[in-house]
Amino acid sequence: MSLTLLEGSLLVFVLCCALGAALLKDTMASVIAFAAYSLGISIIWLVLQAPDVGLTEAAVGAGIMTILFLIALANTVTPDVDSLFESVRWRTVALVGAFVLVMAATIPSLPAIGDPTAPVVGGEVTQYYLANAYKETQVHNAVTAVLAAYRGFDTLGEAVVVFSAGVVALSVLRREVFA
Amino acid sequence: MSADEAPGLYVESTIIMTTVRVVAPFVLTFALFIMFHGADSPGGGFQGGVITGSVVMMLAFAFGIDSTRQWLDVRIVAALASGGVLVFAGIGLGAIALGGQFLQYNVYKPYYYEASKYGIELVELGIGGIVASVAIGLFFLLAAGFGYVTGEGER
Amino acid sequence: MTVDVLQLDLLTSRYNYYAVVLLLGIGLYTLIESPDLVKKVIGMNIFQTGIFLFFITLAYRTGASPPVVTDGGGPYVSPLPHVLILTAIVVGVSLTAVALALIVRIYSEYGTLDEDTLEELYYD
Repeated sequence: MSLTLLEGSLLVFVLCCALGAALLKDTMASVIAFAAYSLGISIIWLVLQAPDVGLTEAAVGAGIMTILFLIALANTVTPDVDSLFESVRWRTVALVGAFVLVMAATIPSLPAIGDPTAPVVGGEVTQYYLANAYKETQVHNAVTAVLAAYRGFDTLGEAVVVFSAGVVALSVLRREVFA
Repeated sequence: MSADEAPGLYVESTIIMTTVRVVAPFVLTFALFIMFHGADSPGGGFQGGVITGSVVMMLAFAFGIDSTRQWLDVRIVAALASGGVLVFAGIGLGAIALGGQFLQYNVYKPYYYEASKYGIELVELGIGGIVASVAIGLFFLLAAGFGYVTGEGER
Repeated sequence: MTVDVLQLDLLTSRYNYYAVVLLLGIGLYTLIESPDLVKKVIGMNIFQTGIFLFFITLAYRTGASPPVVTDGGGPYVSPLPHVLILTAIVVGVSLTAVALALIVRIYSEYGTLDEDTLEELYYD
């Protein structure tokens, strides 16, 4: 698959929002840039044919996460800012740049995007799920089938992680809102 | 809408209140649709749960956090979170009790038609309950801040 | 071995992976460099989303439809990475909420969220 205008502009938008979130000095502005970033990336999930993930990201990233950040900011007082952007520290940029170069060096060995013979898409596991999901679980949506049936134990673990996050926050803030 | 909100957190606005009053029922219906129709269309417990959570945040945004917390009765939220975990683990362990393996849905077949599909739906509802109530609970917690007692949120 | 990172045909066929490494870089920079604890959490989230983009891109197949399986449909994208990332997003928001709860607690204890000031206060 080649790069279309829609995907190219989405990627540029997302990268600009991420840069803004990283470099804007005012924390509130940074949070808003991060919300825009989440919205952009949820549209990327739709373009990549992942509606389940897009739905979750739109509700979580642009909705819940932003509100949580804003609430946390309302509970703290950030000092006034004197400039729009943070000053860039070149020592860290060099370190991160080295990291990015090392990661980028692995790109040529990755399969091309959308290649039907790539290990993940054409692999045995994916083909098994797609061929047998409906027969074995009577569920049309293969994502739900894998989530609740094939990897059900894993999902139970994830659900309990979410539950314990609530418990941890209760004990950290020593607050009885469930009274 | 009460006058004794924490200062700075809540500003009453007619536009926001009216919009939320119109939009919230539709968003809640959409969230429940997503949660119940995870089997045959994109959606499921995680997706529906986070949308349900954001409905409550929207209400709190419009009508004030403390009033929303009192209106909602947070005991229901706590019960939903624990109930979700119990439903999920109960269905998984129930399959073992009936001689199958963990979450092996087809052992429920003698008891219900299309056991596998409805077992998965029930698990998704459990997940939805956990995710929605934990999101709501975390929101109320962070809004309340660290343990000084204001008297407002106390019953 | 020459590492040809910026070949044009690589850029047109593997563009999402370049976005992934750039997002990882931006997230890492914010995690290391930002003095504000809330912005460090934002950086962590950007790093996380970079990894999500990597997984969902691996699941993509040209001309495929979402994995809602019907008779005679297809081809479909791979459902497995979608499941992994779906749960990872929700766990990520719980993680963020716990981090923010810790931040609110730190603020009520020390009265600042600036990393350097916190370090001074801690060692005094």
